Amino acid sequence: MAQQRVIIVGGGLAGLAGSVRLAEAGVHVDLFSLVPVKRSHSVCAQGGINACNDVARQQGYSEYEHFDETIYGGDFLADQHPVLEMANWAPKIIDLLDRMGVPFNRTSEGFRDLRLFGGSLFKRTHFAGATTGQQLIYALDEQARRYESEGKVTKYEYWEFLRPVIEEGRCVGIVAQDMRTMQIRAFRADAVVMATGGCGLVYGKSTNSIICTGAAAARCFKAGAWYGNPEMIQVHPTAIPGADKLRLMSESARGEGGRVWVPRKPGDSRDPKNIPDAERWYFLEEKYPAYGNIVPRDIATREIFDVCVNQGLGVGGENSVYLDLTHRDPEYLQRKLGGILEIYEKFVGVDPKRTPMKIFPAVHYSMGGLFTTFAKGRYNPTQPLPKHKSGSAAPLGAEVGLGMAMGEFANAQTNIPGLYAFGEVNFAYHGANRLGANALLSCIFDGLFCGVSVANYVRDGAPKARPHDQIPQGAFDREVEIEARRYKELAASASRSGDEKTNPYAIHRELGNEMTAACTVVKSESRLVQCLEKIAELRERFSRVAVSDAAAWTNQTLNYARAVGDMLIVAEAIAKGSIARKESRGAHYRTDYPTRDDANYMKTTLAKYDEGTDSVTVEFAPIDASLIAPTARTYGKTDKKDAKPVAAGV
Amino acid sequence: MLNFSPSEGSAAAAAARRASAKPGRTIRVSVKRCEGPGQDSRWETFSVKVDRGANVISVLQQIAANPVTVEGKRTTPVVWDSGCLEEVCGACTMVINGKVRQSCSCLMDEYAPGEGDEITLEPMTKFPVVRDLWVDRSRLFHNLARVKAWVPIDGTYYLGAGPREKPQQQEVRYKLSECMSCGCCLEACPQFNLEENPADWNTAFIGAHAISQARLFNEHETGKALRDERLEVLMGPGGVSDCGNAQNCVKVCPKHIPLTESIASVGRAVTLHGLTRWFKA
Amino acid sequence: MASQSFLDRHHFLLRRLHSLTGIVPIGVFLIAHLTTNSSLLWGKAGLRGTGDHYSFGKDGVTLLEGGVAYFQKEVTWINEQVPHLLLIELTLWLSIAFHAVLGVIYARTGRANTSRYEYQSNWRYRLQRLSGYLGILFIFYHVATLRWGWTFLVPGGTAWSHDFAASTLAAAIRGSETGFTAAGFAVALLYFLGVTLLVFHFANGLWTAAITWGLTISQRAQERWGYACFALGAGLMVMGWASLLGAVMIDPAKARAVEQSIQEGKVGESLAGQADR
Ligand SMILES: Cc1cc2nc3c(=O)[nH]c(=O)nc-3n(C[C@H](O)[C@H](O)[C@H](O)COP(=O)(O)OP(=O)(O)OC[C@H]3O[C@@H](n4cnc5c(N)ncnc54)[C@H](O)[C@@H]3O)c2cc1C
Ligand code: SF4
Ligand code: SF4
Ligand code: FES
Repeated sequence: MAQQRVIIVGGGLAGLAGSVRLAEAGVHVDLFSLVPVKRSHSVCAQGGINACNDVARQQGYSEYEHFDETIYGGDFLADQHPVLEMANWAPKIIDLLDRMGVPFNRTSEGFRDLRLFGGSLFKRTHFAGATTGQQLIYALDEQARRYESEGKVTKYEYWEFLRPVIEEGRCVGIVAQDMRTMQIRAFRADAVVMATGGCGLVYGKSTNSIICTGAAAARCFKAGAWYGNPEMIQVHPTAIPGADKLRLMSESARGEGGRVWVPRKPGDSRDPKNIPDAERWYFLEEKYPAYGNIVPRDIATREIFDVCVNQGLGVGGENSVYLDLTHRDPEYLQRKLGGILEIYEKFVGVDPKRTPMKIFPAVHYSMGGLFTTFAKGRYNPTQPLPKHKSGSAAPLGAEVGLGMAMGEFANAQTNIPGLYAFGEVNFAYHGANRLGANALLSCIFDGLFCGVSVANYVRDGAPKARPHDQIPQGAFDREVEIEARRYKELAASASRSGDEKTNPYAIHRELGNEMTAACTVVKSESRLVQCLEKIAELRERFSRVAVSDAAAWTNQTLNYARAVGDMLIVAEAIAKGSIARKESRGAHYRTDYPTRDDANYMKTTLAKYDEGTDSVTVEFAPIDASLIAPTARTYGKTDKKDAKPVAAGV
Repeated sequence: MLNFSPSEGSAAAAAARRASAKPGRTIRVSVKRCEGPGQDSRWETFSVKVDRGANVISVLQQIAANPVTVEGKRTTPVVWDSGCLEEVCGACTMVINGKVRQSCSCLMDEYAPGEGDEITLEPMTKFPVVRDLWVDRSRLFHNLARVKAWVPIDGTYYLGAGPREKPQQQEVRYKLSECMSCGCCLEACPQFNLEENPADWNTAFIGAHAISQARLFNEHETGKALRDERLEVLMGPGGVSDCGNAQNCVKVCPKHIPLTESIASVGRAVTLHGLTRWFKA
Repeated sequence: MASQSFLDRHHFLLRRLHSLTGIVPIGVFLIAHLTTNSSLLWGKAGLRGTGDHYSFGKDGVTLLEGGVAYFQKEVTWINEQVPHLLLIELTLWLSIAFHAVLGVIYARTGRANTSRYEYQSNWRYRLQRLSGYLGILFIFYHVATLRWGWTFLVPGGTAWSHDFAASTLAAAIRGSETGFTAAGFAVALLYFLGVTLLVFHFANGLWTAAITWGLTISQRAQERWGYACFALGAGLMVMGWASLLGAVMIDPAKARAVEQSIQEGKVGESLAGQADR
């Protein structure tokens, strides 16, 4: 019998963790990526990765508490059993990464150091300097390279995924294109894992890498995969405005004591260091005395947005607020935050250890993504529990292995059998808002935990009866043909003389501006409808797109233009999901429906692609909320002015 | 007079240039272009309007949207490699104004602060050009495999925590582990030269980054298990002895990896390994 | 191809031998050689008051007369007292040949890029190779003319003799037995360049060797050792230039008179003990 083969598209944390796990299980992995996997977007992650740990445990924290925080932080939209399992696995994942050689910061006694992060009162975030994502992906990249040198992993770097090949109702391979030779060909597999990350580029400029277009997910979507919660887009409160990108200023800057403020006097043009404390407004600390500057992202973002846009109190009248670390010891800052502070200094030219930084929110993360299923574990209290009381013991029976059933085919599988989705590209775990330092965890968890499901599926599922090498060639030729035609049409457009209307760069720019204006911090029906019209216009213009390069070798312009077309579909799903969800929840805030509506919308938004009309339809599907009953998500907001800020040492 | 410093150039001068930059100015960008492997190169110059904070990436994006040279000739968008745009992925290495560096962190305010100032962009010369500014750096990754740059763990099953580690040791490893495989150190190294044929990669100079990575894994409790294998490779042709101590690598490394210390440290390790091996075998 | 695989098979050993030979014996010899030769200028001090015998003028022994005498005693001592001299010389020549041949092979693996990366350390890298190439040519000329007696390469045709060490040396470098000739000036210039480059090559090589062997690891250690090598190099440079200056300033005829008097045993025994320390 032929060796089982799995294709993994994407070599970020999720794809690499999956590759390592599958290779170890004896399944051959073909790993596809737009860039050398080591350069995947996961390198950008700065702050850290969450997990219950011995210290926090003795202070009353537990895996269950981590689970609870994640559900609460996600405003009760996430399916709960998978989140429980992820939280249960977190400490084991940290241990594994530790064994792989990740240089986690250490205490003087040599244990792993911890920091405070948004959405928790416990120190439960592990970190490696200010480049945790980079360090984690390197560790996994190294393990993948080891398997590659043993012939168990084959890398296809600079290959672009174009579409899944679906035959007999299941995914049996992909069509991909070599970005250098431009060759388009099909690859067979017993299962395909999408691990292609987020879609920040839909918003033009974001904190994401330049390759995070979401095009790969859009291509699966058009092939029939469902998309969950597209409207849940996280806007990070603190980013550095830039010409090509909005660079992130990690939450860890606030975790290490960074304070957000604006001058009380509108348009105050004094040097920030000369503004006395009494004339500064520390608005987060004032409004949220318990969490202070480390309130979750959606809250911080909306507050900053409100202060600048609605109250006109932004620094110098512009859209920015101060993020101030200057009260901390520069040496301490260098040790704890060196990397991210260097980014600021490098790109702005000002030393944030001495001058407060100017920051503003930016699109950061997509909670939504390809819809995936899961198999519930055995943990099943008769009644959903109310919000877990911080510090109380985890309920019995909630421990490892009981949130999700390990190895079941269903885990992280899309609605198309054999097509899986790992990492940021799926919609799981984070609900309506992701907690800082939970994404890296979910990516690696998917790879390790759900990788086993993929291995089992290719051994004992449908591919057992009909392995990849027995699928008729016609199925692959047909799909290659479609992509070759699409490509040829695009290439032919180079001969047309384009204008601003049909320029892919212009279309992308306009899309980004429109989406940023209509689909981020505050949304409303009227604005969203307008946005949909704009998307329709852009889609029409895209149908006449004219590229400026006809080369048959390394034609980046073509790849880019094709991705722009696919981004338009994602944008439509985001806008339609935003319209359909007539409530406010987590990152999704509607001025016309400012409250949460659990009765009608504690459900997954399911976007589906309708081939006939070439458009997106939206419906709602029930979620698994069987473990924790929803409560109001206030993070202890008060209007009292003199409440105590949160103690950093908890 | 004598200079053993790992860095060159003055930060103050750069800051002054940035401060002097005029917003809304027009600059000239000359790009060395090449349609593909084996084809001749040519220069094309573009004129681009830039504002505060513009970098090489935003300039190239502007050119891509409207690729017309200063002579008014329509051309194709420039092909280049990039990713994170914040100097952590290592993708966007280029030769800018004659020197190698990351292009995403290359600010126009510093490089072309005045009206009409010109910058030049060329592909790296030590790797084969794919097209325009994009080069094929496979050899760089191949060299990581050559020195077995990984920790040989038993597998991904749960086996408890990794070895405890002193914070001082963590700091050493963390610094080394920040290497993003950008290849600046290789481009600037007089001992590292273009090798088109992969058959030669195992004997040609391995380069500072791989030497430094070998040190990183030799410093790890579990990574040490492969120490001798790594040292054997580094004692062989193209190994650490082929370094000529020009110390350019450490000066151009955007991550400030202490490469020359790594080279010396591996030098010591192979010295001792060579001696013990001689007495053992 | 055979030589290629031999080089590859013994890559590490050859690389380290290359580094080692540069220090022992070549570097050590260089120090000794320059010490001896520079006695042309400082030799008078070495005579410690017993040099009156060499005075041919009414003002007592001059600086150069003292130098010539001391230098001669040194040369004589080396020739007569050092055991297995030929063996030592052979070892030295072989080492130099080995160091040079491998050095050229190794240097050819690099491609200097000082025009783009004008860092000082990069210039040192380039100079190290350049000084190696030129240095070996100089050594060849130096040994061929003064040791192997290839007088056809010497302007003026003087053959060096260890019985008349300073005078024949001076004549060979000045281009004639009598005065300074144009060709002599070229030879002197060649010596100046050769000595300068070789001293640089040694001092810089000593600095890099400490990295190669892993003696200096930290940045600070490399810096400190750099200054030490600089000091050593500066010292050797002064000695090298002093030797040359001495050779250029000495009037061969006057020197010959001093040497003659030593040959004739006029001053014989009283000095023998002095010269061999
Ligand atoms: C600036 C920043 C900081 C962050 N900090 C944190 C943090 O501190 N903690 C935390 O938990 N999370 C953080 N996150 C979030 C986290 O980094 C991401 O969610 C996570 O890295 C996503 O990993 P991934 O494996 O899903 O995808 P990615 O790392 O994005 O990888 C996607 C892969 O898919 C490939 N790919 C994409 N499209 C195609 C295609 N068409 N064909 C072939 N291959 C394709 C790419 O080449 C790449 O290899 C941060 C995010 C950003 C933007
Ligand atoms: S020190 Fe060695 S590796 Fe670094 S540039 Fe010089 S020759 Fe290359
Ligand atoms: S050592 Fe520095 S210059 Fe070399 S590849 Fe790594 S980061 Fe780049
Ligand atoms: S784009 Fe990642 S380093 Fe420049």
